[in-house]
Amino acid sequence: MRFTLTDDQREIQRTARDLLANRSSFEKVRAAAEQGPDEALWRELCELGWPGIAVAEAHGGQGLGAVELAVLLEELGYACAATPFLGTVLAAAAIEHAGSDAQRERWLPGLAAGELRGALGAPGELMPDAPGANVVVVVDLAQRTAAVADADAVEPVQTIDPTRRYGRAPAGGEPLEGDAGPAIDRALVAVSAELVGLAQRALDMSVEYVKERKQFGVPVGTFQAVQHRAAQMLLDVEGGRSAALYAAWTADADPQRLPLAAAMAKAWASDAGRSATASAIQLHGGIGFTWEADVHWLFKRAQLDSAFLGAGAAHRARVTALTRPT
Amino acid sequence: MDLSYTERERAFRDELREWLAANPPGERPQGEEADYAWRRDWQRRLHEGGWAGVHWPVEYGGRGASLMETAIFFEELGRARAPLPANVLGLLLGGPTLMVWGTEEQKDRYLPPILSAQEIWCQGFSEPDAGSDLAALKTRARRDGDGWVVSGQKVWTSGAQFSKWCMLVARTDPDVPKHKGLTYFLMDMEQEAVQVRPLVQITGEADFNELFVEEARIPDENVIGGVGNGWKVALTTLMNERAGLGFFLQVRLRQLLDELVEQAAASGALDDPRVADRLGDLHVRTEILRLTAYRGLSAIEQYGQPGPEGSLVKWLWSDTNQMLTQLAADVVGPEALTAGRPWAYELLRARGNSIEGGTTEILKNIVAERVLGLPRAR
Repeated sequence: MRFTLTDDQREIQRTARDLLANRSSFEKVRAAAEQGPDEALWRELCELGWPGIAVAEAHGGQGLGAVELAVLLEELGYACAATPFLGTVLAAAAIEHAGSDAQRERWLPGLAAGELRGALGAPGELMPDAPGANVVVVVDLAQRTAAVADADAVEPVQTIDPTRRYGRAPAGGEPLEGDAGPAIDRALVAVSAELVGLAQRALDMSVEYVKERKQFGVPVGTFQAVQHRAAQMLLDVEGGRSAALYAAWTADADPQRLPLAAAMAKAWASDAGRSATASAIQLHGGIGFTWEADVHWLFKRAQLDSAFLGAGAAHRARVTALTRPT
Repeated sequence: MDLSYTERERAFRDELREWLAANPPGERPQGEEADYAWRRDWQRRLHEGGWAGVHWPVEYGGRGASLMETAIFFEELGRARAPLPANVLGLLLGGPTLMVWGTEEQKDRYLPPILSAQEIWCQGFSEPDAGSDLAALKTRARRDGDGWVVSGQKVWTSGAQFSKWCMLVARTDPDVPKHKGLTYFLMDMEQEAVQVRPLVQITGEADFNELFVEEARIPDENVIGGVGNGWKVALTTLMNERAGLGFFLQVRLRQLLDELVEQAAASGALDDPRVADRLGDLHVRTEILRLTAYRGLSAIEQYGQPGPEGSLVKWLWSDTNQMLTQLAADVVGPEALTAGRPWAYELLRARGNSIEGGTTEILKNIVAERVLGLPRAR
């Protein structure tokens, strides 16, 4: 057993971290919050083949797996990047894993290349990246079915997270023939990975801040009350990372375990992402409550991610149902 | 990343499972003495089967198992409902400490009877006024001819009444800073100068003892790692403290949770969404604990040192066990609180989890300072 990233996976992680540190600073995130998605960054990610990382080579993707996708999403969350990446990869996963051959041929090459933009979510619920998406997949979480809805029918919605566009899509459309369960579970894993990245960034920014900020003549990071909150954030982050990576691994290597693993990951990450980003505001003190300090972008994105496809309580209920003695 | 067992790990597990099936540990007997005898016998059987020191190098009579195999070993022991071997402190703490700091003579003399459970070890670190601040300990050792004379008091020494040897840290030089004046000894427990008094816990049981040491004699050859070097040697012991044990505890947690879920399903409590939510949370925590422990081991195997996740496991375990036993009181109802009930015992025993082996507060300090790099707390 080896529960660490391979050298190749670490290379992907390092490359993504470096690229996003350069191209997706909080200045860019801030600009995107006012003007919409960062199109230059999106083009660059498409040129690098990121949207197709987990799509089979036969459909124009890179043929890597859910773990590699989770690695990228964690980094995109870390940067709080303003691109339609999440919606696009979720739509692609749904079509790849639940679509017919014809549906795959029709949509996957475009989604994998980033020429088509996608979105996925429950009908009538807030759906990330839905406005501007070409391929809008609506999923029925209870029935575990999916359909491609009319993209023109998406109604944009302003949310507390202006770094990403959200909308609502109606039910119905062209059904995907297969079982949408694995696609939904993969979506849960993906958004959990993004939440881990948001929480990690919240922790890193907080640690830097409390080392610098002085009160009573000493850095506030010397106070145990502050230290213990930071330690809790690390537990939030690392627990989420364990769960998200494990679930991502099951998606390709042990699909029978995916439903429970995905529910566990989303249950933890939904709550941990919210609490870690909230702690970041708290640890930044008064400045943390200002628009100028950037931690609020993380908190806002985490709130939307947490609610997306069911918050913590919904997934805890699912965990209990899936582990119920027969 | 590959979370399936390697062929070697699978073979190890299968061989162990086969052995455990052929050598069932049996039921825990009533009474402290009988329980101890059972665990001692269990270790002898493990030893005869070649399973006593799985993580010990082959040259010292072990199996030379990898960290992952050691984890598998404890998981399987937990799954087979086997007890911890009687000499768990010797196997996990004493032996590995000797392997690092002991002389060849010391290793030859002490390691074999640790494995066979012929000589049981206990740990004399904590004192009434030196718990989390271990280096503040006051037990004194002064030179007397070719040996040492030791006086002081130790506390929380589990198994002291059954032990032959005590890993004792004492102050040999009161005139230097507190971490520098310590020496690590092996003290013979079989002498009049050492008195063991059971310490009754909130469960009513006495898993631990107080140790009263009045002019006990320790020969010079029982110094481990050199005079004045006791703090470093003690850290080696402490670092070994939870290496494999964590997996044993994690399996116990899993078993308790499964029992609670079964009871909740049988009583209908599982249909209450509030109960379902809390049980779901416990399931998530228990699994994440296991996964995080595996990540820690993998990091050590791959990179030679644990990642940040390694320091979180004990904290998460104690929190989760306390939540679980508290939920049992709600799910089972007041019946769980009546004397002699297993849940009543578990509920009370769990309160010690966040204190023993490093309080949660100290663990959080360690995470903040050593993992996150925050300045030392005031």
